[in-house]
Amino acid sequence: MAEERRGSWFGFGFCGFGQALGSGRGRQVTSPEPLRAAGTDAEVCSVSASWSYTAFLSRERSGPIPPGPAPTCPRLLLSWLPAPAGAGQVQLSGSARGAAEGCRDAWASETLLVVLRDGRGPGAGAELQAWAPGSALCGEPLWAQTVVPEAQREDREDGEGDGTRARPLPLLPGARAYVSPLSPLYRPLAPELRARRLELGTEHALLLDEAGQVYSWGGGRHGQLGHGTLEAEPEPRLLEALQGLPMAEVAAGGWHSVCVSETGDVYTWGWNESGQLALPTRSLAEDRETVTGETTGLSGHGPGVTGTTGDEGGAPASCIALQPFPALLDLPLGSDAVKASCGSRHTAVVTRAGELYTWGWGKYGQLGHGDTTSRDWPCRVEYFVDKQLQAVAVSCGPWNTYVYAVQRETS
Amino acid sequence: MAEDSNRDTLPGMGPLQEALRALLPRTKEELKLDLSENVHRSVLILLQQATNLFYEGRRSECLQTTEALLDYSWEKLNTGVWRDVDKDWRRVYSFSCLLKTMCLCETPGDATTVAAALKVCDMGLLMGAAILGDILSKVAAILQTHLLSGKRPAQGPAQEQPGIKKARNGHTSIPDTRSEEAVPRLHCPSLQYFRKHYLVPQRPVILEGVADHWPCMKKWSLEYIQEIAGCRTVPVEVGSRYTDEDWSQRLMTVNEFISRYILNEPKDIGYLAQHQLFDQIPELKQDIGVPDYCCLGDGEEEEITINAWFGPPGTVSPLHQDPQQNFLVQVLGRKYIRLYSPQESEALYPHDTHLLHNTSQVGPSMTFQLLPHPTPFLESRQMASLAFFRSTWRILTWRSSPGLLRPHSCPASCLLEKSCSSRLNIGIMCKPWT
Repeated sequence: MAEERRGSWFGFGFCGFGQALGSGRGRQVTSPEPLRAAGTDAEVCSVSASWSYTAFLSRERSGPIPPGPAPTCPRLLLSWLPAPAGAGQVQLSGSARGAAEGCRDAWASETLLVVLRDGRGPGAGAELQAWAPGSALCGEPLWAQTVVPEAQREDREDGEGDGTRARPLPLLPGARAYVSPLSPLYRPLAPELRARRLELGTEHALLLDEAGQVYSWGGGRHGQLGHGTLEAEPEPRLLEALQGLPMAEVAAGGWHSVCVSETGDVYTWGWNESGQLALPTRSLAEDRETVTGETTGLSGHGPGVTGTTGDEGGAPASCIALQPFPALLDLPLGSDAVKASCGSRHTAVVTRAGELYTWGWGKYGQLGHGDTTSRDWPCRVEYFVDKQLQAVAVSCGPWNTYVYAVQRETS
Repeated sequence: MAEDSNRDTLPGMGPLQEALRALLPRTKEELKLDLSENVHRSVLILLQQATNLFYEGRRSECLQTTEALLDYSWEKLNTGVWRDVDKDWRRVYSFSCLLKTMCLCETPGDATTVAAALKVCDMGLLMGAAILGDILSKVAAILQTHLLSGKRPAQGPAQEQPGIKKARNGHTSIPDTRSEEAVPRLHCPSLQYFRKHYLVPQRPVILEGVADHWPCMKKWSLEYIQEIAGCRTVPVEVGSRYTDEDWSQRLMTVNEFISRYILNEPKDIGYLAQHQLFDQIPELKQDIGVPDYCCLGDGEEEEITINAWFGPPGTVSPLHQDPQQNFLVQVLGRKYIRLYSPQESEALYPHDTHLLHNTSQVGPSMTFQLLPHPTPFLESRQMASLAFFRSTWRILTWRSSPGLLRPHSCPASCLLEKSCSSRLNIGIMCKPWT
């Protein structure tokens, strides 16, 4: 019985470098497949995927799963599951191989693998290391820095019950700085920002603070900053459109942004060229056979600058190429979202009821619907429904998606 | 060899593959790009893999690998400002286009396959950077030759020749240009005279008789363009003006452009504007010349850029300023041009904000990034000199180059362009000076 309630990871999308993604058959997987576990005792607790490789962070389970019904809400569920103890192992799969012990967190990018490791020696502070992915975590890192002990203590105190850090990479413990795959690696953050979560897109950054406010900065040519212009912002700037609405999650895609409010609403903004904002996009409208626009599950869009308007060529009247302000998205059946993650040009959202919705670019199967079609509306991944699996967490690589799901109680 | 008469198979598919293969080195070791460290190790792995698969004849696997390379490098091309994109990513993109084109042509196919291959090739030419001795241009030439040899003449409905007599009086009115301030006209002045009286003092002028002998003046027509370049993919600006919200850039073949935006009562304005068409399609370059006056510039001859402008009546380029000197030759149709001199710069207001232009989608996996004109943009408030050109005249007009751009003023002369009342508008602009 206990084993049935154990969670496990599933993957789908691009695996052209042989990165572990389900069966790893071929170069892409279009439907979710369970990840083959490295060993039964070690449990993968977080996944960070870059384009050509994935970093798995796994830990030993500290104890058996408690009896009784599992909570249904994913957030509660994570704290109910026994917390993995201590630091774990990072394993790389794909164009980068290798493993390392004593790791608390890992963050993968094409140019850099960033790892937060336990300090060497007793009482030593944790160490932040940046490695070349091809180094297989052997030899010396490209760059290393000891984490200030106060910051580390803060970090542990704020952590969620599941053992994942409250402030995952690329945000550093203490939230005074973050790592970037581009030089300079180490980037300080103003302490008054009180960052809780930081996400990096291709040209921009999103920050969620303790009060649930969202900040953005960096390049803005695709509207991904959400301030209503296409101008770049050199410093973190508060998203005024969302001021006063406490957010629970932020996620940054290649050129788009998503956030989830405490009450379960989803907001999207930025580039919509493949429908990654779940707004109608011209390329898909032209591909579709029907003349009238698709409006499944979409309503209540926020203010925004529309792209092409009134095109009689067969495309619907309001296709949107760029959305420079946050737009409110309604999930089908009025579902509440709890988690979100973005790939390069796609979006994935987990609902309170444990369903997974995906939309955007689908050419490599990263939407998980069994095909390679892109979609510009939120679409439920039926695999989890069919298998009685409750989605709990999601983590997107640029062209793929990893989902952590738990078997549902059969009533 | 096609047995099936229903298939529109081109003659001589064997020679096509031979001709294409002849462009490539014989061994895979020789097909290499020298790339900097900025290109990720993982991409180098895929490039190697794709090359190996191609030389091993594993076509469908090669296509899969090159597709991933195309998509990844396309993302790099869309990161940051276009001019800052590392040239190596553009070369990776070109290389991927090359391999994909080769793979598509490997197996005998019909005209559709070759046209699709040419489209991929054009994407590499438009967005990539030259590789392996500009191999994509050579590939395009071979593919085009094969497509043309298989074509029957006069396909589709007969198109009428656009001529001055058939000019529609459309929605655009022709401004009155009887003014003493019209731009002066000279017939073939000497280089020295031109330099002394117009180049140095930065004054505009119309030079007559200079391009009369260019082959394009006799040869060019819609049918001719379609024949020579119909299947080539080009960037088209859709929308009335590029300062409008619904303006976008799309990629389409020349045939599609003509069919949708020139003929058949177009619903939108589509403009093939400021595109280096003659680099992409050398067959058209043979029909034009370069004015001798261009050699008076400071730059090298290689730095002369030649752009083409091809559109229906009613296309407007809002007031703007070019960083280079220009010669404009109008081949077909009429164009109305208004010039403002530096002295009038006080009356011209640049836009406060960045241009809010929408990057558009041009297909499942492409977009076009080039901004057609440098910022800022200017709105006119005061009329100064007007110029109006008839299609029978060969026009050369010329603007001075700007000095430093100060906010809210413009130290050099500016240009408003408006074409009107003729069926077709084809012009060439040579930019000799940097």
